[in-house]
Amino acid sequence: MNRLTVLVLLLLPGVGFLILFFGLPLVLAFLASVGLGALGNSHGFTLEHYRSIFTDSVYRDGLVFSIYISVAPTLVSLVIALPLAVLLQESFPGKRLFQTLYKIPLVVPAIVAAFIVMTLFDRGGEISRLLQPFHLQLPKLVRDPWALGVIIAMAWKSIPFMTLIIGGSVAAIPHDLKHAVRTLGGNRLTVFWRIELPLALPGITAATLLVFVGTTGAFAVPSLLGPIYPKPLSLWMYQSALEKNDWATASAMGIMLSLVACLVLVVYYRITSGMRTGISGETR
Amino acid sequence: MTIAVSLGSRRDRADIRRRRRPEGLWLSVGLYAALTLTLLAPLVVTLLWSLVDPKGGWFAPDILPRGLSLVHWQAIAEDRSLVASIVTSLSISAIVMALSAVLALPTAFALAKIPFRAKRAVEMFVLAPLIVPGLVVGIGIGFVFFRVGLAYTVPGVILAQTIGTLPFMIRILSATLENLPMDLIHAARTLGATPLKVALRIVVPLTWPGFVAGGLLSFVSSFEEFEKTFIVGAPQVETLTVKLWAVLGGKVLIFPNAAVVTFILLAPTVIIFILAERALRNESALAAGMGKL
Repeated sequence: MNRLTVLVLLLLPGVGFLILFFGLPLVLAFLASVGLGALGNSHGFTLEHYRSIFTDSVYRDGLVFSIYISVAPTLVSLVIALPLAVLLQESFPGKRLFQTLYKIPLVVPAIVAAFIVMTLFDRGGEISRLLQPFHLQLPKLVRDPWALGVIIAMAWKSIPFMTLIIGGSVAAIPHDLKHAVRTLGGNRLTVFWRIELPLALPGITAATLLVFVGTTGAFAVPSLLGPIYPKPLSLWMYQSALEKNDWATASAMGIMLSLVACLVLVVYYRITSGMRTGISGETR
Repeated sequence: MTIAVSLGSRRDRADIRRRRRPEGLWLSVGLYAALTLTLLAPLVVTLLWSLVDPKGGWFAPDILPRGLSLVHWQAIAEDRSLVASIVTSLSISAIVMALSAVLALPTAFALAKIPFRAKRAVEMFVLAPLIVPGLVVGIGIGFVFFRVGLAYTVPGVILAQTIGTLPFMIRILSATLENLPMDLIHAARTLGATPLKVALRIVVPLTWPGFVAGGLLSFVSSFEEFEKTFIVGAPQVETLTVKLWAVLGGKVLIFPNAAVVTFILLAPTVIIFILAERALRNESALAAGMGKL
């Protein structure tokens, strides 16, 4: 067997599976979204379905809302995960146990996170009961217009994931560098700003991006905790496909959501390709 | 002379006292307090909800339920459909995990060890299912499965979930395989081992941490997967997440029932997770696979 045959045979199981079950449906969905192919009613090439996303205020609000409920939890997670990842480099009693326990939300299904938010933050939930003797009241946090419940649930689930990845890249920084800064009179904060933050930046951006992308098309959490209006594009997409049987519009929304995610990815590569060679000489 | 000695010993004692207070005690206290508030407290509230005595109920402004009982747990244990969901969920996840590992190994090996021109493109394509939202993948694959008769079937759900677990598996395995010395493989081949034997006797044992990390992640992400399963399988194939969604999104939300399903859904993942954490000792395999895109 020549090298090429071997290579193709090795790649076939994994890549072939993804071409068949992931690539092909996506191509079919794209064709359907421009009015071609087997999905839905075919009337020849049209951009009507995309036009409706931008002109129909319901869908336009949905797109904006989708981006909002994806950016907000990502930022909240980042603000908590970054210091947490750095603090976890220190030694403290019970570190091993903590490092196992803090990751539990990683394996908690999103629907469970949504249910926990309901029991705690809803009107009449545990927190408002605890606050009542002090005559304090929680703002509306479930099905509220700012989707705060959605943000809480999604951030809660993303924080360990982000901490894990950022922690990995912070741990990879040579200790000599940190010691050198301390020896030369820099304090802990200087180490963070001048050493840890810039050197862990590839990990930080990767984690941020993965969380953003993971929340872009979230369906279960916004449908359980989100406001009645606006609905994210994912919910409209589900409704079009399975309730109205309008696969073309659903496909157009799916392609739009995927484009948003891909756009972020392209920006990420633009930023990091310069950054990586600049910092560590890594050319990957 | 005596003064000097006593001063010295006092300083020693102070030193000892300072050393006895463990390093980072306050950090530990702070981190555990945060963990209690954000993780333990919510779980305790959920546990209480599953134990509410229906006679007393648990209505605002009561901070604790009036009485506790196992009524809801008993009702669930007698609920055939829930037991069936547990079996469905566990077996689907186990098959997805095994299927991902088998499909991922050769591809991961090629990506880690064989230089070729389109490698970057293949890597990007392998990551793509993590980029495209699960609902979009679900609706795309759902329509195809409708046509070929795989919709509403267990094999259909397994295939749909594997789309999401395969990228993790390939990434993690290829990160682990990069450290595998090729000399060992060449030596085994020279001594007459078949490729299958090399894979089973050398590659798999030496990359075992990668398999554990990837397998854990696959199992758990399959077990908690909702979007694709919901679109391809529901209502015929009812995994635990689909079941919980039905309970939470129903017209009447019965908190105790939802709390019981929540715990049944959480128990296996958390137990597997803690066991695997012990086995792995560190998360290097996971971080190495996902830390750079």
